[in-house]
Formats: sequence, structure tokens, C-alpha cells
Amino acid sequence: MSGDCGCEAAKTNLEEYLRNEVCKTDAADIRAHLETCPSCQGEADLSRTLTEVIQRACKESAPQDLRDQVLERLRSIQASHG
Amino acid sequence: MALQTPVRDEFAEVIGDLTDPATALDVDWEAMSEDEVSQNPPAGEDPRALFEEQALPFLDQLYGAAMRMTKNPPDAQDLVQETFVKAYAAFGQFRQGTNLKAWLYRILTNTYINQYRKKQREPYQGTIDDLEDWQLGGAESTTARASRSAEAEAIDRMPDSAVKEALQAIPEDFRLAVYLADVEGFAYQEIADIMKTPVGTVMSRLHRGRRLLRDLLADYAIERGISIPSEARSGQ
Repeated sequence: MSGDCGCEAAKTNLEEYLRNEVCKTDAADIRAHLETCPSCQGEADLSRTLTEVIQRACKESAPQDLRDQVLERLRSIQASHG
Repeated sequence: MALQTPVRDEFAEVIGDLTDPATALDVDWEAMSEDEVSQNPPAGEDPRALFEEQALPFLDQLYGAAMRMTKNPPDAQDLVQETFVKAYAAFGQFRQGTNLKAWLYRILTNTYINQYRKKQREPYQGTIDDLEDWQLGGAESTTARASRSAEAEAIDRMPDSAVKEALQAIPEDFRLAVYLADVEGFAYQEIADIMKTPVGTVMSRLHRGRRLLRDLLADYAIERGISIPSEARSGQ
């Protein structure tokens, strides 16, 4: 890939890189590119922010009585199967 | 994450050599015989106590996933209950030391697809992967985009309700892939096992789902007049 500044490869695999889903060699290339490329850094930050915001929004606590209901179901199965 | 499967390109083949037998099992829960259920019992310890001790801590997480699937609390509660009942019945088959969370999510997803998705008004979106981006209404905006940093800042300021709304608006298979990756932190291979699709499909769903989310959130920010810093806007 001579002549390419590295943006193309970095952007194509950026999400995989951020999720530790690229092999070590590729990860090292992307890491090196990110250190020198503000545009790709911005893309990486945006990607991380999106993940954080989704995590934040999706935090749920099960209703208090769900745990009891589950336990009750399990106990009744145990009772019926001896 | 337990799996470090190197994935080099969008259409990487599913890696056959799974290090996690629990997620590799392709179990037809309905067809399981008593024999299969009772094989490999957890040795030494009372299986009931072991199940409650190990599986119940995932209750909140499973409920969160169930909420994203069913979109309402009563169905989410039923789904979680069903999941625990099935998991308990099959617990003898779970191999201690493997990934229990992935195993539970697999049962949750199966149960949802088999029992709940059919009942819902939302039509089955089996062909969603074949649709082009423009057909989903989420093609990259033709209007000038704000700089990445401004977009990140606007997204960061989104109320949770807007993010949930946007998640509900994207196709279900995309939503689930995004949820499993971003919220639960599952590796691609684990998501592939949970959703029973090739890794390449998982990646595609994830990319497209996140792209749609970004567009929806950008629209939301513009509608609500969430300001994008002007210096950043003119920055690029």
C-alpha cells in the first residue's frame, strides 16, 4: 500500500481495532497511524463516544420482584421433579 | 474478552476453532432429551445452588437486553423468566469454566426469536442484511457534516431517552448486534454464536447499525438545537 498515508486502512479497520479484533501487526500499524493523524483520531474518539453513550443509555435494573419470581419458578420446577 | 480472533477483513470467514465450547454448542433446546440434560453434572456441589449462585448475578444484564428486544417491561420480565427456566433445565450441559454469560445470552436470544418475535407487530426482518443503506434511510448525509469532535460532543450530550429511541428505530438485527458489542462487550465470534450468523454478518450489522444510530442522533441534535461548537464546526 505504498503512497497511502494510512488513513484508508485505519478507517476501514478502525472499529475492529478499537474492539481488539484485528491481529497484532495490523493493530500496531493503526496505532502508529492514529498517533500522527488528527482526522483518524477524531473518528476514533467519536466511535468510542458512541459506545459510551449507548452503554450509558442502556443501563437497566431489573424490577425488584423479578429475582423473586425467577427463584420461585426454579423452586417449583425442582419441587415437581423431586 | 476471552476470544482474540483476528479479523482482517469485512468478510473474514468464521474461525472454526472455537476456544469456548459453550458458545460453540448448537443446541436445539426443545429437542433435548433427558439424557443430554443430565450429562456432565457439576461435580461435588448442589447444581441448584450452583446455578443460582452463578447465573442469577446476570439478571440485570439479561433484563436490559430483554428490554431492548421486547421494548416493554412485562414482556422483558417474561422473557428473562423463560430464559432462566431453560438455562436451569440445561445447566447440566453447561461446561464449568466456559463463558456462562455468552451461554445465557444465547438462550435469551433463542427464546426471544422463537417465542416473542413471532408475536410482535414488527415484521420479521430476515432480509435486512440485503438492503442497501439508502433503503434504510440512513445513507451518509449529503449535508455538510460537523467535525468529528463536534459530533462526538453532541452525541455525548444526548439524553438517554433519545439514545434508546434511536436504538429502537434501527432494524432489530442491527440493534441486537450493537447491543451485544457495545453494551455487553462480546467479541465478534461470541456475537456470531449468539445470533447464529457468520462473523462477517455481525461486522456488517454492527457497522450499519452504528452508522444509522449516528445519523439518527445527529438529526435529533439538529432538531433540538443542541449546539455544536462553532470553532469545531469551522475547524475542518
